[in-house]
Amino acid sequence: MIEVEGLRKVFRTRRGPVEAVAGIDFRVAAGEFVGYAGPNGAGKSTTVKMMSGILLPSAGRVEVCGLVPYRERKRLARRMGVVFGQRTQLWWDLPLQESFELVGHLYRIPAADRLRRLRRLEEVLALGPLLPVPVRSLSLGQRMRAELAAAVLPAPQVLFLDEPTIGLDVEAKAAVRDFLGELNRTEGTTVILTTHDLDDITRLCSRLMIIDHGRLIYDGTVEALRTAYGTTRVLVVDLAEDEPLELAGAVPVRAEGRRRWFQFARDEVSAAELIARLLASNEVADLTLEEPDIEDIVRRIYRGET
Amino acid sequence: MAEPARVYLHLAAAAVRATARRPAYLAMRTLAAALIVVFEVAGVVLLVDRFGTIGGWRPAEVVLLFGLAFAGQGLALLFGDTLEADKVSQLVRRGTFDQVLTRPVSPLGWVLASYVDTRFVGRLLAGAGTVVWAANRAGVAWTPGRAGLAALAVVCAATIVFAVLLAAAGFTFVTVQGSEAVNVLVYGGQYLASYPMQIYGPPLRFLFVWVVPFGLAIYVPALGVLGRQGPPGLPAWLAWLAAPAAGAFLAAGGLAWRAGIRHYVGTGS
Repeated sequence: MIEVEGLRKVFRTRRGPVEAVAGIDFRVAAGEFVGYAGPNGAGKSTTVKMMSGILLPSAGRVEVCGLVPYRERKRLARRMGVVFGQRTQLWWDLPLQESFELVGHLYRIPAADRLRRLRRLEEVLALGPLLPVPVRSLSLGQRMRAELAAAVLPAPQVLFLDEPTIGLDVEAKAAVRDFLGELNRTEGTTVILTTHDLDDITRLCSRLMIIDHGRLIYDGTVEALRTAYGTTRVLVVDLAEDEPLELAGAVPVRAEGRRRWFQFARDEVSAAELIARLLASNEVADLTLEEPDIEDIVRRIYRGET
Repeated sequence: MAEPARVYLHLAAAAVRATARRPAYLAMRTLAAALIVVFEVAGVVLLVDRFGTIGGWRPAEVVLLFGLAFAGQGLALLFGDTLEADKVSQLVRRGTFDQVLTRPVSPLGWVLASYVDTRFVGRLLAGAGTVVWAANRAGVAWTPGRAGLAALAVVCAATIVFAVLLAAAGFTFVTVQGSEAVNVLVYGGQYLASYPMQIYGPPLRFLFVWVVPFGLAIYVPALGVLGRQGPPGLPAWLAWLAAPAAGAFLAAGGLAWRAGIRHYVGTGS
């Protein structure tokens, strides 16, 4: 579905050339759900722009749906959906209903097909009551659901999403994620999700790619990332009394009142061993064990600590 | 062609519906677009009246030129207002243009159709009204031929304004910063070119007739409407050249726009 080979993009700036994408290779098969992460300025959106035909590569090869994006931009546009979380693709001043009609005209969807598909989308995304409302009056969560419906109305083969859950509350995030997962499962839509929200990725993506300084530094499953890099765990202790506490084999990382956080490497000491030592020396009110947080892992990868 | 053209009609209709949702606001903006013509024309009348005539032209005859120019400007801005440098610059900086590029349509068609600004109907009508009023004051006996020449002048003037805006938009894709200089060139140039050509010396006259052919588009057909002879080197029959000249100018504007788009897709900035 997507083939990228030796892809590079160099921007000329006043301070000299900047290599935003420094030669990346990957293939995405039809039906994959890929998370694309990386710190700001790592080259994420430059890659997505080259895949969607907005930007011409400096070197390398990119093909989406068997088309060369910048050369066959309009043909690709018919098979591709795009959602930018912070910008709207809808007609701001008009009732939502009209945006869907216009999308139908733009993508030449026969009216009967459009209505049938829209009825389903309305149901899944709970859009019914929003149809007569001007887009400008929708809440962010409502608007995001509408954006998704408009993007998938033409039944695209590939969907590029840029921060689709940014700024949404927990409930709206869940609605967006449920919809995307369902779409990927039932229609086999290939999805490339660019996001800072690693929760989106762990919940949705079968595969994670991490880009930094224009290079792919990780390409694999989320689970593999956790086992490969998540070597430390954290023991959280609530002491019965506020007293100094040292624990052999673990490093104190935080203290707040009677609560203490100890970090330890899983291959050096077991949690059971630590807890036994702790209970032998102190009176403990409560205990929890924190597994490596994917966010921490990715942050450490960004910082080059692994 | 028929099928894609319909897409742009739908887009333009959506733009009109969007503005029509606030009728009072639209009415005020339309009135403002028309009032500019009234004030400018009043200024020209007051000025020319002090001298009696300018280059042998009476106030009503000079006003006819301005009426044609404003009608043309209104027609051009009806579609081309969004091509102004600061507006294109906003489209780029807000990322709207990136989104346009992800749609299965021509970017130019999208921009023109989606930003149709009906308030400029006000300027078009005010300009046309000025032409009719001035022609009557100047004692023009209307014939189909003279009406045709007036319409030709309006369409050609519109084409040239539009072409300049198109080229400026292409340029803005490269600079990104909207430049007031472009607006000064478009509107200032058109203002200067709306006076009878004989008041200018040979270099300026050459510029307005053969380089930025506002003079060829407005002044020369107006000679025919008024039944006047032009100065040496600018006979009334040159009006036949107005359409080809405007067309060539539009083609040049189109090339500049395409170059701008190519630059944008190449650099993304």
